[in-house]
Amino acid sequence: MLLALIFSPLLALLGVVFAPRKSQVKHIALAGMLLPLAIVSYLLLNYSSWSGTTASSGRATELAVSLNWFPDIGLKLVLDLNSGVSVALVALTALLGPLCVIGSHTAITTRVRTYYGWLLVLQSAMLGVFCARDVILFYIFFEFTLVPMFVLISLYGSTNRKAAAIKFFLYTFTGSVIALAGLVYVAFVNAKGTGEWTFALDTLTQASQRLPAGTQAWIFAALLLGFAVKVPLFPLHTWLPLAHTEAPTAGSVILAGVLLKLGTYGILVVAIPFAPLAAIAFAPWLAVLSICGILIAGLICWTQTDIKKLVAYSSVAHLGFCMLGMFAMNVAGVQGSVLYMINHGLSTGALFFCIGMMYERYHTRSLKEVGGLAAKMPIWACFMVFFAMASVGLPGLNGFISEFLCVMGAFQAGDLWAAQGLPGGTAGNLGPYFAAVAGTGMIIAAIYTLYMVGAICFGPLKEPAGHADHGHGSAHGGGHGSHAGDDHGSLPTDLSAREIGVLLPLAALCLFLGLRPAPLMNLVDPAVKDTVAIVEKARTQAKATAAAADDNTSALTAR
Amino acid sequence: MLHLLELLGSSALATTLASTDAALASAPAAGGGVIAAPMWASLIVALPLLGAVLSTLMAVMGVRTKLPALMTVGLLAASFVTTLALFLQLQGGPAAGLKLYDWISLSWGSGAGQTFTASFGFDFDHLTLLWMLFVTGLSAIIALYASEYMSHDVGPGYCRFFFAFNLFVFSMACLVMGDNLLLLFLGWEGVGLCSYLLIGYFYRKPAAVAAAKKAFIVNRIGDLGLLLGILSTFAVFGTIEYTKIFAIIESGVLPNGQKLAEHWANWVIPALLTCGAFGKSAQLFFYVWLPDAMEGPTPVSALIHAATMVTAGVFLIARMYPLFVSDPHLIVLSVVAWAGAITAIWAATIEMAIFDIKRVMGYSTISQLGFMFAGLGILSPVGASFHTFTHAFFKATLFLGVGAVMHGFGGQLDLRRLSGVAWMRGFGLVGIAMLIGSINLSGVPFTAGYFSKDIILADAFALPHGQIWGSTAVAWILLITAGMTAYYTFRTYFRVYAGPKEFVPGDDAELLELGRHPKGVSIEEWHKQHGHGHGHGHSHGHGHGHDHGHGHDHGHGADKTATQRVDFDPTTEEFDPHPPGAAMKIAIAVAMVLAIAAASLYFIGPKGGWVAGMIAQSSAALPESVATHAGGDHAHGTFFGFDPHKVMYYVSAIVGFIGILIAAVLHGPRGWQGLFVGSRTQAEKSRADAFVTLFGPITTAARNKWYVDEIYDWTIRTPLLVLGHILHFADKLGVDGLVNLAGQIPRGLGRAFQTGQRGVLNGYALSMAAGIAVLAMIALLAST
Repeated sequence: MLLALIFSPLLALLGVVFAPRKSQVKHIALAGMLLPLAIVSYLLLNYSSWSGTTASSGRATELAVSLNWFPDIGLKLVLDLNSGVSVALVALTALLGPLCVIGSHTAITTRVRTYYGWLLVLQSAMLGVFCARDVILFYIFFEFTLVPMFVLISLYGSTNRKAAAIKFFLYTFTGSVIALAGLVYVAFVNAKGTGEWTFALDTLTQASQRLPAGTQAWIFAALLLGFAVKVPLFPLHTWLPLAHTEAPTAGSVILAGVLLKLGTYGILVVAIPFAPLAAIAFAPWLAVLSICGILIAGLICWTQTDIKKLVAYSSVAHLGFCMLGMFAMNVAGVQGSVLYMINHGLSTGALFFCIGMMYERYHTRSLKEVGGLAAKMPIWACFMVFFAMASVGLPGLNGFISEFLCVMGAFQAGDLWAAQGLPGGTAGNLGPYFAAVAGTGMIIAAIYTLYMVGAICFGPLKEPAGHADHGHGSAHGGGHGSHAGDDHGSLPTDLSAREIGVLLPLAALCLFLGLRPAPLMNLVDPAVKDTVAIVEKARTQAKATAAAADDNTSALTAR
Repeated sequence: MLHLLELLGSSALATTLASTDAALASAPAAGGGVIAAPMWASLIVALPLLGAVLSTLMAVMGVRTKLPALMTVGLLAASFVTTLALFLQLQGGPAAGLKLYDWISLSWGSGAGQTFTASFGFDFDHLTLLWMLFVTGLSAIIALYASEYMSHDVGPGYCRFFFAFNLFVFSMACLVMGDNLLLLFLGWEGVGLCSYLLIGYFYRKPAAVAAAKKAFIVNRIGDLGLLLGILSTFAVFGTIEYTKIFAIIESGVLPNGQKLAEHWANWVIPALLTCGAFGKSAQLFFYVWLPDAMEGPTPVSALIHAATMVTAGVFLIARMYPLFVSDPHLIVLSVVAWAGAITAIWAATIEMAIFDIKRVMGYSTISQLGFMFAGLGILSPVGASFHTFTHAFFKATLFLGVGAVMHGFGGQLDLRRLSGVAWMRGFGLVGIAMLIGSINLSGVPFTAGYFSKDIILADAFALPHGQIWGSTAVAWILLITAGMTAYYTFRTYFRVYAGPKEFVPGDDAELLELGRHPKGVSIEEWHKQHGHGHGHGHSHGHGHGHDHGHGHDHGHGADKTATQRVDFDPTTEEFDPHPPGAAMKIAIAVAMVLAIAAASLYFIGPKGGWVAGMIAQSSAALPESVATHAGGDHAHGTFFGFDPHKVMYYVSAIVGFIGILIAAVLHGPRGWQGLFVGSRTQAEKSRADAFVTLFGPITTAARNKWYVDEIYDWTIRTPLLVLGHILHFADKLGVDGLVNLAGQIPRGLGRAFQTGQRGVLNGYALSMAAGIAVLAMIALLAST
């Protein structure tokens, strides 16, 4: 089942390459994207039947696939969906895939085969990362997402696409090579200890946890560097605005929706479990970096006139919240962090879709040239405002739940509460001050989001020169007038049924997860608790060590 | 009459005592024994939500009739009836609760405080019922008013308006009735969203968009405080459900064994919650958003920015009152009292100077909210709640009247351009309504506003020294403000509604003409025309025909195009004031009658009036420990040796009359309409002009709202924006530059071998090699 899930897009790749007519390509690609979605839907509907117990995410499920690859060095192909976090992210990926294909129908008209082909490859690789339970396999999938994205940006992006693609590639690649070093080192240490090479995620996790704090610090640093670039954690974010801005719409959607989550996913399932002691020690520093990201990227957003860049920077700020919650390392924070991965994928992905639809009509992203579009594209403006509100964390929509839990996690995770014996706190080394400062990011988010919405949707109508010459016969009537002789030929003034079809599922999910997050929260809950349990174990262990050793040599364990 | 006042005096005194008694009686109700409410009670929330959904559907289906309005009025009226039925059922009994489902639920252990639950559940106690009665009732009335007021926009805009309107009532219901703080927060931000959408309703107007943005952002600042307050509440109490929190407060011992009275939570959490309350209710330095919010359509100003949403802050403090009074020093309540008093007088100074009658009402709302906050601060939750209740009705009446004037005179709001409106044909009802509203606001004896304001003033003077820091000074500030209120209220009344008939239509005159005559051209298209000038051909034939919905018969040809009408001169004789139609008149009349009837609430029910009874049965009642202080005779504060509860009736009446008299002298028209002291004969000139020149810069400063907006702009907004630009620059040059530099190393090495694009691939290979080298080094280090 998992093999079918991961490789069905590749199956469609054959179709895309050998399709007799170009016009069939997008339909075949869509089919290739819908297959994993169907499988995931089936899996979600029958979750309890295959997942076995939900109490612990560690053990294998009935879906597990294990194939020998290079038995000599213990390399295996191990795929499983034994963590709710993986299931949720696979579902997100599977959902965004077909929407990207549908959303690209009019935007991509040249080199169609290459485009959809690489999109399918990318989809396979992303699904693979979340299913892999072998670190080398994980790494291969992880790295393999780079190539399709590189091609998508460099071939289908806008003016500055080459530089953006190269920067994206080198930046993230350099990071992940260092992460690989960390992974291999752990495998090496394990092999030295047990005399047997293995790359199984679970085995290595346990082996790595037993290492002393000093070694863990190095491992954590190496892994973090690789994953933090991807997240991106401030100050390693500078590749992102450029890549986002230059990428084609589907590229931006996938980049924001899924690729960034590879980083947070990596930190959650690899970096923290591999080196919990180091994670505890580094948590306040990383939380500070996250908060810097929230505030600095937020303020930068406010100064942008390129709307796509604005949303790109807002991703940095949003992922700051996600990381803050994760480094709170308590249930609320990690739960919030995981929900943030999903919710950010939905709302920011949708915002990129919206911007893409606008771009297809006006061929500009500059807020100086285009604005007040509610007058002309009311349906589009409704969606834009809706997703902006989801993104700004309005209660009742999905963004709020995750943002609230992340801030709550940071708020709770402090010794302040335990010292006073207050009930609502948890162990940890952040605290209310972290939450309060990060909370100002919510104000900044309101500032830049409303600035964006106010400029693009509201105010007097503003269109680029050359666009205003057309007679706007149907300014009032919604989506049923089309411009004859316009350069975007088949596109109506307002959104077409196809475009509404892309946005509507995302909007529905944003609303549903905002009002009824329980299904998603229950899905990821066991995995979240496992991670927190690992950290808690390390915390007690660290305390015991600190108490035992009078010469408290290691500054890392002091906390 | 004297006898009657005597009677009233003693009953007002009894207010606080009654609270004391009831606090004892209602202890079990507040303590957690919540009975199950009937399932149909959820209709109060569900009906407005249904309305929002249906409005969306109507927008999708392209409904171009008044159907959304009819539907909204029906649903909100049904919601009101449900509230009333629930009230009748629960009246006098304990609080009832209803849980629909767990919204956010999270658990990390089985101990106390290790489960976080925020449910979609509702508490119905007397405080929430009090609020919901006027929220649902007024919203139904104002929806009726809006059905006509917004009729120029029938179509998608109309649906959009009623979508936000319904969503607002839904959010407000969640805010008020939610059984936990996070559901309150959902409603809190939800009403903020609706306020944003409705202030920015005329979205082509840059001023409206800016005002909407400002409202949302300023509110968000307060919301951060509220959110941190909620988180602190959870950390300290281990729960965010009211009943459980109140049970802990009542026991006086926190879950960690410490006494609440000695714990920082008793002032830190109230302080944080108060931040949120100040933001939503536009107190102190948060007030700047509310005057600008007057950019929204007037029904919105009436409902959201006067009667209901802005009182959410009052509600929040009243809701969490047990926590506020758990602090033996009552620090936060002292701050609230002072903030309220300062805001009240501050806003009043501005009102006395500005000419925009709608903004006068806006500032007046801020000022009256100040009274309510001061009431909460000086331990008079009854006064605060009663004033909220009466204010909702009389301020809504005033706004609806102002709206009728705007509607009729092309958006004219300048009180120097309007005079004698009450005497114009079709505006008689508006004149009466404005008079009713004005006497309520000024505190003329025997009006509802008079009684409610009186409780606050009397309680403030009656408070013993030292319980609330400087309570006597607060009382004096409020008393002076009451006089100022009477002045500015009747300043507007004498100028606009009384006197010789005279007017200049506003800028929107042509807008209204367009809205009425060639029916197909909506306000939206008009704005588009003026917002930017690319004269695109308008499509007029929306199937409206040329029916003159208002029965007016002007000489304008119905087929005149919008482009031809642009050069319409608003000052020409053509303009006829456009009196309100049936729907608006009914709504105004009902609101007006309710504003009068609210006074009777003071006389019904137990001692101290109906509201006192309601509060006494809710958790907002003063606990015995505090109330004995406040009510005890030995330490009772006095007003020059008299019992404040007895003399305040006369004092406040006299102060009010002085205010009205000054208004009459300065602004009143000649003859009986100006109480025989006025001298005004034309719209533009009055005796006050002399004072304006006399105080020159002061009045100018007040008229410019004391330049607070400008100060904020220069101290907060601009520095932040500059910082943003600096950071962006640093991000591009500094952070990114360093990375680029590092990126050049492998790339440069690559170029040494091959040029162009392939250099990149070499760089790729090189960094891979570098990675492997690092790997090997680590392995080497590890093995040694």
